[in-house]
Amino acid sequence: MSASARAALCALGLAAASGCHHRLARGELPANEIETTLFLLGDAGEPDPRQVGSPLDSLAVQAAEAPERSVIVFLGDNVYPGGIPAEGAAEWADARRRLDAQVRAIPPGVRGIFVPGNHDWGDERAFGLYSIRLQEQMIASMARGRNVRMLPGNGCPGPVSVDFGRLRVVTLDTQWWLHSYIVRDSSSHCPEGTMGAVTAALRDQVKPPGDGRVVFVVGHHPLMTGGAHGGYCGVTGPFRRFGGTSQDILGGANQVLRDSLRSAFAGRPPLAYAAGHDHTLQVLRGGRNVDYVLVSGAGSPSKTECAVKLRESYYVTQHRAGFMRVDIMKGKGVLLRVFRYPATRSGALAFSRWLELR
Amino acid sequence: MTARLLIGRSPIPGRYRLSSLLVAVTVGLASTANAQTLQSLPLLADEATPVGALPPMALPMPASRDRNYWGLRLQVGERQERRGPEDLVAVGAGIDYQIAGGSILGLTGGYQRRQHCQPALSDCRGHSLFGLRGRFNVITGGPTVAGIIGDESAASTLGTEIGFGYAPKVSPGVNACTLDLGVPISVAMLQTIRVVTFITPGAVWNIDCSAANTPTGRSFMLGFGFGLLQLGSRGLDVNVGAQRIFRGTTGLQFGVSVSWVRLP
Repeated sequence: MSASARAALCALGLAAASGCHHRLARGELPANEIETTLFLLGDAGEPDPRQVGSPLDSLAVQAAEAPERSVIVFLGDNVYPGGIPAEGAAEWADARRRLDAQVRAIPPGVRGIFVPGNHDWGDERAFGLYSIRLQEQMIASMARGRNVRMLPGNGCPGPVSVDFGRLRVVTLDTQWWLHSYIVRDSSSHCPEGTMGAVTAALRDQVKPPGDGRVVFVVGHHPLMTGGAHGGYCGVTGPFRRFGGTSQDILGGANQVLRDSLRSAFAGRPPLAYAAGHDHTLQVLRGGRNVDYVLVSGAGSPSKTECAVKLRESYYVTQHRAGFMRVDIMKGKGVLLRVFRYPATRSGALAFSRWLELR
Repeated sequence: MTARLLIGRSPIPGRYRLSSLLVAVTVGLASTANAQTLQSLPLLADEATPVGALPPMALPMPASRDRNYWGLRLQVGERQERRGPEDLVAVGAGIDYQIAGGSILGLTGGYQRRQHCQPALSDCRGHSLFGLRGRFNVITGGPTVAGIIGDESAASTLGTEIGFGYAPKVSPGVNACTLDLGVPISVAMLQTIRVVTFITPGAVWNIDCSAANTPTGRSFMLGFGFGLLQLGSRGLDVNVGAQRIFRGTTGLQFGVSVSWVRLP
């Protein structure tokens, strides 16, 4: 909807429908009032070998504007199709190239967090635990002293929290819940080793001390989606329930994962749960246990997919690459902006919403 | 007037019905239009149960797979252009249960009456109507339609539906029962206020459910319309629909449906 049409709707008093009070007024935010900027980009593990291109380069440009307050979270599936193989494998060099494109996109001074996804776990195969460790080591070597790392590390499920001012980012390895092969060995040393322990720790970590805290929980698998993994966008969609694949919302193991996360959020709902997995951009109303569910899995232009607007959706776009930017303002206010590519005549900014009113 | 079109015991033995039909058509063509409009038409089972009495609606908007949703529905429909002085007006209310954000099972109750009824010509009493309906979203996706109309949020849904309708005492001693099958298609677009267009092709069968041995038969039907989804509230939808049953005297039906889904 164009800005003029939206303004007309607001003028007609359809505020609830158009969400006027949540939308960004024209003009940029005053830079000195932004405390932290969080970039969310997922499923970026298939960069074009001939050029970086959008959305990775656009994200890098935005993050470079204020590196000291910027954080980039890669929401998993950082290396398609099967994560980092053992060195010497034919795919190793290309896997390294895919990861390097993302690490290089993080400007100096910007903090980078890579969350593991199912493809990073060796495409859900037996080599997964070792592949995820190889990726962690490779990220560390590519970082060359910068604050760029994989969280949670060492194939552990997390949660691992990182605080940036009043923002807390809680990272999870959701594939750990779904993996059908080995998830721990003698060198794991994970603080939480069972689903119950992970849920309990998460319950604690979504309640940071202090007032005015903003909590984002990030993992690879979404809590809700109108994409292919939600049983939409195909003839097989409604029947995926019976297929039992853990990667889909309708799968039993996936249900256990989501129920556990929601139960952990119940005491004090985080502002948002952000994930990738579906290669689309979606902003959804979370419900009782989390205010917003974000799906930002459109990091690879060649992999973008279909998505359906759900009754809970505030915004959805399909077959477009892009990322999300969240500005945490000093004191109060959290602004979400969705950028999608190729840009239209009105620009790349496709959607904005105050997740926490200023 | 053919016996197959009537609800109620046919006075004509079955083997003579075809010839009676031919006679009726011949006589009908020979008659003037005015003469036809002065006659009160019998109420067909297709018109008396929810499938024909209440307006068509778009397939349900998809929602989170993690939840089941309760919804309420109000519908008003008027069937016009019947070949007679009367229109049929029906109101209905329903309760819907959306399973895992997709398919819907719904119960409907309502009331239908004849408008402009002439007591001298027909039984002008109204009747209640009841229905049970399942609407199943089979494929929900959007890239093809989105590409055509240039809206990134466009989604098309192909579904199936099955409904059973019952209306007691549509005329003295006669009940109406129908079973219908349909293949509805919806296309929804725009982000903020969702606009949906739909068509609902289908077939409806009369089922004999009267002690009076009512005739059975099949009719094809086509509904179409548009709706505004999430109108001011995330759960509030308004659909405007029209429907034609391809059977001689049924006319065209128009109606409005307002539905509300309770979101957690």
